[in-house]
Amino acid sequence: MSSSVQTLVNRPYKYGFVTDIESDTIPKGLNEDVVRLISAKKNEPQFMVDFRLRAYRQWLTMDSPTWPTVTYPPINYQDIVYYSAPKPKEKLKSLDQVDPTLLETFEKLGIPLTEQKRLTNVAVDAIFDSVSVATTFKEKLAEQGIIFCSISEALHHHPQLIEQYLGRVVPIADNYFAALNSAVFSDGSFVYIPKNTHCPMELSTYFRINNGESGQFERTLIVAESGSFVSYLEGCTAPMYDSNQLHAAVVELVALDNAEIKYATVQNWYAGDANGKGGIYNFVTKRGLCQGANSKISWTQVETGSAITWKYPSCVLVGDHSVGEFYSVALTNHYQQADTGTKMIHVGKNTRSTIISKGISVGHSNNSYRGLVKIGPKADGARNYSQCDSMLIGDNAGANTFPYIQVQNQTGKVEHEASTSKIGEDQLFYFQQRGISLEDAASMMISGFCRDVFNKLPMEFAVEADRLLSLKLEGSVG
Amino acid sequence: MMSSPVKSQLDGVTMPLDHPPTATDNLQRLLNNRPPVTRCPWLGELRQRGLALASEQTIPTARDEEWRFTDLSALLNTQFEAVQEPLVSPNPSELTTDYLANTIRLVFVDGHYASHLSDVSGLPNQLIVTSFSQLTPDQYPLLQNYLGKQTGNEEVFTALNMACLVDGALIWLPPNAIVPCPIHLLFISSAFASPLAAYPRCLLVAQSGSQVTLVEEYKSLGAGVQFTNGVTEIWMDDQSMVTHVRVQRQNNQAIHIGKTAVSQGQNTTYQSVSVGLGGVLGRHNVEVVQVGEQSQTLLYGLNVSGEQQVIDTHTSITFTRPHGTSQQLQKAIAGDRSHTIFNGKLVVPKAAQLTDASQLNRTLLVSPKARVDTKPQLEIVADNVKCTHGATVSQLDGEEIFYLQSRGLPIPYARQLLVDAFTTEIISHIPLPQLGASLNQAIRQRVNHPM
Repeated sequence: MSSSVQTLVNRPYKYGFVTDIESDTIPKGLNEDVVRLISAKKNEPQFMVDFRLRAYRQWLTMDSPTWPTVTYPPINYQDIVYYSAPKPKEKLKSLDQVDPTLLETFEKLGIPLTEQKRLTNVAVDAIFDSVSVATTFKEKLAEQGIIFCSISEALHHHPQLIEQYLGRVVPIADNYFAALNSAVFSDGSFVYIPKNTHCPMELSTYFRINNGESGQFERTLIVAESGSFVSYLEGCTAPMYDSNQLHAAVVELVALDNAEIKYATVQNWYAGDANGKGGIYNFVTKRGLCQGANSKISWTQVETGSAITWKYPSCVLVGDHSVGEFYSVALTNHYQQADTGTKMIHVGKNTRSTIISKGISVGHSNNSYRGLVKIGPKADGARNYSQCDSMLIGDNAGANTFPYIQVQNQTGKVEHEASTSKIGEDQLFYFQQRGISLEDAASMMISGFCRDVFNKLPMEFAVEADRLLSLKLEGSVG
Repeated sequence: MMSSPVKSQLDGVTMPLDHPPTATDNLQRLLNNRPPVTRCPWLGELRQRGLALASEQTIPTARDEEWRFTDLSALLNTQFEAVQEPLVSPNPSELTTDYLANTIRLVFVDGHYASHLSDVSGLPNQLIVTSFSQLTPDQYPLLQNYLGKQTGNEEVFTALNMACLVDGALIWLPPNAIVPCPIHLLFISSAFASPLAAYPRCLLVAQSGSQVTLVEEYKSLGAGVQFTNGVTEIWMDDQSMVTHVRVQRQNNQAIHIGKTAVSQGQNTTYQSVSVGLGGVLGRHNVEVVQVGEQSQTLLYGLNVSGEQQVIDTHTSITFTRPHGTSQQLQKAIAGDRSHTIFNGKLVVPKAAQLTDASQLNRTLLVSPKARVDTKPQLEIVADNVKCTHGATVSQLDGEEIFYLQSRGLPIPYARQLLVDAFTTEIISHIPLPQLGASLNQAIRQRVNHPM
């Protein structure tokens, strides 16, 4: 078995094409003028310019983190294009006027944006390099007072909301990449759900990096007013380049009293080739603030792409009785590296959190779970349950677990368990005995291993995620 | 990293420090104050190596991952004097209650061997249980391949111990020797007028097929501030078995930083029971490396902290060959405003296929102000392994207390019973009933006082 396990077949990355489109790209490099230029290009209000400059100056004083168990050559931040947008033919009035090349691109990616082909009941914001190119179902959502648009648009139409919430959950000085993002972010999605509103459809953002030299720095902000509910999904792909592109995003969620936000990610950035050449550096800061009582934030992530993933979707449970959840599947193959996990910070009373993390490492990849559960001195009756399981396929893959547990309140209750194992040979044999091929058996067992997490994804995406996983693993076992 | 006045201090020219002591200064001060080696001049070379390693470093701060939660400011704020010669010659009658019956006993006071307190009578032939200072010149070469040869010497406190070494305990087991009774090492730190620093050391070499039970105990005489920086090296040849009981019950002013480094050959069994009760700061690092196949490591640990104590255990088990197994159960009880810390690392590189490792960490918080930081950690590259870890933090279960109350037990007894049950899982692994009983009593006293 062990020798056949190593037979890794490389399944082509089907999203690896490049769209040939004329784009408005600023020169490489980063300085205050570039920050101002990005801001000017987007015609931003003064407070944004100040915000960006503050972040940029902060970033200059910081060092990139060295604690994750990932290795990569130092990034030359002067060799990155910080703004690249498809050149608009003229001012867009409706979706029909979006450049057909772009529509085609997204169609090819399985994200139809045109009226007749839209996914039913999913509103999509499509982001291409640095800017949002289209947002579907905007008007329908607006009828209920829901705002779903690109963040640049929100800056013009709802500046007070942006000013109130931007940088509130992830302050500019939070970490190196968050500071960089705050200085140069170009676009992203903004969602605002008014009081007592149940968002009638899934909201979704699709990120696409096209330009080989540009980084993508998007920013997502979701505000759920008291009593509201929203389910949000993001997907991402990029073309195959030999070089590495930087993706440093920031996602901020705010849930007020009794509000619930479900945030799901299916991350399939280009992961580099079988020798670890190329791929996206995915350095993302995601954090949700359960500000109100009884609020709930749930993160679900399926991480299959990126050369390096560095990401810790977190929940700060401030409101009493608030709930944080984290469900994650991280699959690494070839030379991919993932250092991912979550932080659950319990501040309010009777707050609860659940962490389910499944890591699968194949080939020469390295997969780390790094998590923090912190129960503050005032978090009476806080409760956490964490489970991290790792599966190793091939004897060059690595799996690490670094769970930090910090409790400062005796009424807190924390349980953590972790295991690392391989696919059981007995179980495989049992399947084969029943006439199921080795490959199918392994794939079934892996999908069973991830079941707890896939169950949390919206239906269509659970199917997609399952398929994605089996594609990625094809030929790894058997 | 070092400022220039400190450098010149090293050269023997003392310059006044015009700024508050920093981590470097304090380490330097400890090094400048290192006790002269009088009785074992042959340790000179090792001390030089230690000095070189330590001089490159600083006392760790919260920015060092390994010391992130451990506040070393107590060490920085006090000026410690090294013990040049054993200062106190404890009256044996003060200590006799601590002697374990039917043991071979070596007693060290402030790192120096106290022959009048030790009892090595009835030693079987070939078996060496003595202090470095009692060795004859023909015996020195024995140690050359072992003393200070474990990995991790560059770690700052290990280097400090090496630089300041004056004496130590040596246990040398020839092949197939089975030591008939436990060996009791009693390291006493005196704490009277001025704060003293002591650097105890122990070297155990168990040659193939030998078996021994070692009890290593740290105690204080007096209630003052003291700094104890101990290192124990254990070398296990193929098929040997070592049962190692380590008890740290220094006074509540003491700073104790100790390390146990174990190297396990093929088919060996290392079982350790480590109990940490004392010190304003009590830190114990356990580093086990399985260098041979099919070895077994069993670690049991219990830390009980009260008042403002910080008790910290860092363990690491590294597997390097196939078929290794390990089992670890680490428990802690934290009361008052105390802080308990655990970091447990399991490292399984590619060569260590078929490893079976399990680790469980359980912490009981018995006071509203107590705090715990724990991090069980797995680093695995081999695919054909079974590794699990678990961690729980909680207070005593209300329902369990209620159940006992419903059976007629008053609350304090019910709590006592549950705490006893919690600690017994560790204490029961100590093969000396007398020691177990005395530890149980000490724990009860600590946990029982009003919380």
